[in-house]
Amino acid sequence: MPTHGLRIVLLVALLASRAAAGADALGERLAACAACHGEHGEGVAGAEYYPHLAGKPAGYLFEQLQGYRDGRRQNTQMTWLVQFADDAYLHEIADYYAALPPRARAADTGAEQLTPERRAVAEKLVRDGDPARDVPACSACHGTALTGLEPGVPALIGLPADYVVAQFGNWRDGIRRSLAPDCMHDVATRIAPEDVRAVASWLSQQSNPDGARPAPAGAFTPPKACGALPHAEAAP
Amino acid sequence: MSRRGWSVAAAVLLPLVLAAVAVGGVLFLRQGGFAPYRVPRDSHRTVASDAATLARGEYLAHLGNCVACHTTRGGVPFAGGRAFALGVGTLYSTNLTPDARAGIGDWSADEFAHAMRNGVSRDGVLYPAFPYQHFAGLADADLDALYAYLRSLPPNPQKPPENRLAFPASSRLALVGWRMLYERPPGAAPATAPSAPDARGRYLVDALGHCGMCHSTRGPNGSLPAEGYLAGGRIPGLDWYAPPLDSRQLERYSVAELAAYLRDGTSPHGSAYGPMAEVVYAGLRAISLDDATAIAGYLKSLPPRPEPAPAAAGAEAAPRDAPLANGAEIYRTYCVDCHGDDGQGKPDAYPPLRGAVAVTAPDPVDALRIVLYGGMPVTTAGNPRPHTMPPFVQTLSAGEIAAVVNWIREGWGGRRSELGRADVEAVHGIATD
Repeated sequence: MPTHGLRIVLLVALLASRAAAGADALGERLAACAACHGEHGEGVAGAEYYPHLAGKPAGYLFEQLQGYRDGRRQNTQMTWLVQFADDAYLHEIADYYAALPPRARAADTGAEQLTPERRAVAEKLVRDGDPARDVPACSACHGTALTGLEPGVPALIGLPADYVVAQFGNWRDGIRRSLAPDCMHDVATRIAPEDVRAVASWLSQQSNPDGARPAPAGAFTPPKACGALPHAEAAP
Repeated sequence: MSRRGWSVAAAVLLPLVLAAVAVGGVLFLRQGGFAPYRVPRDSHRTVASDAATLARGEYLAHLGNCVACHTTRGGVPFAGGRAFALGVGTLYSTNLTPDARAGIGDWSADEFAHAMRNGVSRDGVLYPAFPYQHFAGLADADLDALYAYLRSLPPNPQKPPENRLAFPASSRLALVGWRMLYERPPGAAPATAPSAPDARGRYLVDALGHCGMCHSTRGPNGSLPAEGYLAGGRIPGLDWYAPPLDSRQLERYSVAELAAYLRDGTSPHGSAYGPMAEVVYAGLRAISLDDATAIAGYLKSLPPRPEPAPAAAGAEAAPRDAPLANGAEIYRTYCVDCHGDDGQGKPDAYPPLRGAVAVTAPDPVDALRIVLYGGMPVTTAGNPRPHTMPPFVQTLSAGEIAAVVNWIREGWGGRRSELGRADVEAVHGIATD
C-alpha cells in the first residue's frame, strides 16, 4: 500500500533526524571527554595514554565508565568526572562513542621487532592460547580478526604495545578489575611477563587499515564467561 | 626542701590545682557530665518495622545522607570503611549494617539514639567528624525510623580498617578534652519532627541535614562555634570551599529555584559540584519537593552574617606574576564559547560566571579545581544528561590558569585576585575519596 509505505518512510526519516539531533546534542554535552579523547572520540594520535573511544563496543565502554565510577578502574581524572553519573547517562555516553566511525590505524612500525622465536610464541598465544595453563587464545574471545565482539569485547589490533603491557600489569595486580568473573585477571596471572611483551609487540604490528568494526553480537561464542557480558550466561 | 619551703610551695600551688580542678569540673559538667558516657547497654527496646516506618527511615537516611560517608567507592552501601584524611590522620567510617560483630546488629534502639545524639557508643567516644552535634536535635520518632531502616539492611561482615591517627588525637581520652572545650548539649530533643514549613526547614538543615558540617566557619580544632553557623568556609579534609547559607548569598535564587537546585543539582545560577554534587547524588535527589522547599525557605530567611574582613584591605598592590591581560586572551580562546563574552553563560547548558559562587568566593580553591580538572554535574531526574566542563590541566600551564582565574574573579566576582603559579600548583592532584 503506497500510503503505508510512505508512512514508514516518513517515520524512518523522522526517527533518523531525531537520532542525529540527539547525537549532536550529546556531543555538545561531552566537552570534558573531548578534551582528552578528541572531538569525535578519535584519541590522541600515536598513543593510547588517552585511548580512542570511537567504534569500541558499547558494552565495553559502559563497563569502563562504570568501573571508574565504582572503583574497579583507577584513574583519578576519569573518576572525578563520572563519579556522580547514573547508569542511564553512562550508557548513553557509551552508545554515543560506540556509534562513531572506528579509527583506522596503520601497523606500528616503530615498535620493537620480534625475533622469529618470540614471534612464534606470540602467534601461538594469539591463535591457540596455552591450554596447559588454561589460557584461551586471544582470538577465541576477541575474534579471528582481533577486531572484538559486540557488545563487550574490544578490538586488540591497533593498540600500542606499551598500552597492552600496562593493562596486563594492572589486571595482574588487581588495579584494573571487571565484574566477576574477571577473565583478564585470570589470563594475566598465567602468562609470563616476557610473553605478554611478545604478544603486545605482535599486536601493535597488526594494522587496522579499514577501521573494521567489532563482530556483531552472537557472531561467535567466546569460551569463557566474563564480567557482565551478555554471553556470560550462554557460555559454559 | 625545708618544711617552710614545702608550705610556701603548697600555698602557691594548691589554689592553682584547685582552680584547675574547678575549671575542669565546670567544663566537664557543661559538656553534659557523666550522662553522655552512660551508654544504655541494658536497654532492649525495639521499634516498629512495618513497611511505612521502613520507607520513612529510608527517606530520612537520604535526607541525612548517611550512605555517602558510610560507603566506600563501589562498596556495599552503609558497610562503612570510607577514609577521611584529616589533619590529625585518617578516620574510617563505621559499618551501619545490622551485622552483630562488624555493624550495629547488637544495638538496641536506645543505644542507637544515644550514639546519634551524644557521640558515644559502646565502642567509646566518637570523633566529631560524625555529626552528633547536629543529630542531637533529631526527633525520637525519626531516630526510631532510621534505626528500623538500618536494621532492615542485609548484614555485612566487613570491618572498617583501624583509624590511623597521631597522638593525642588517637586517644579517646583526648576526645573527652575536646568535648569539654567544644561540646554543649542543646537540651531535650523533640518527640516528633516539626511539620510547619519554617520549623521543618530549620530542623532539616540543623539536625538531619547537618548542613553546618560543611557550610559553617570552623573554629579551633575543628570546632563549630555559634558565630560561624552557616557562615561558609573551607571544608576540613575535603578542601573545597562551601559558601555561607543566608539571604544575601542566596539572593539570586527564588525559593523555588533553590528547592529545585537541592533536588536537581542544577539551577539557572549554576550547578552543584564537588562535595555538594555528592550530597545531591547520594541523598537530596530523592527528597520531596515540600522538604526541599522548607529547606530553601529557611535558608533564604537567615540574616546575612558579616563578611570576613578582606585579608589585605588597603595594602599596596603587589606586583603580579600573571598579568590580567593574558587572562582576557585565555578567556577569549578557551572559555568564551560556553560562558559568553559577558560571563552570562547559556541557559540550560553552561552556567553564568558573573556572580557564581566559585567566582565570588573569598577562597579561590573551587574555581581552581574546576578549571584544572573540569567536571560533570550530578545526574538527576531534573538534569539527566548534564553538560560537562573540560579539564584544562593538560592544556594550560599553572601560570595561565592563574591568569584566567584572576581575570574572571576580578571581572565578575568583584574581588582582587592575585593568584600565581604556586597557588595553582598547590591545588594540583585529585583526591577522590
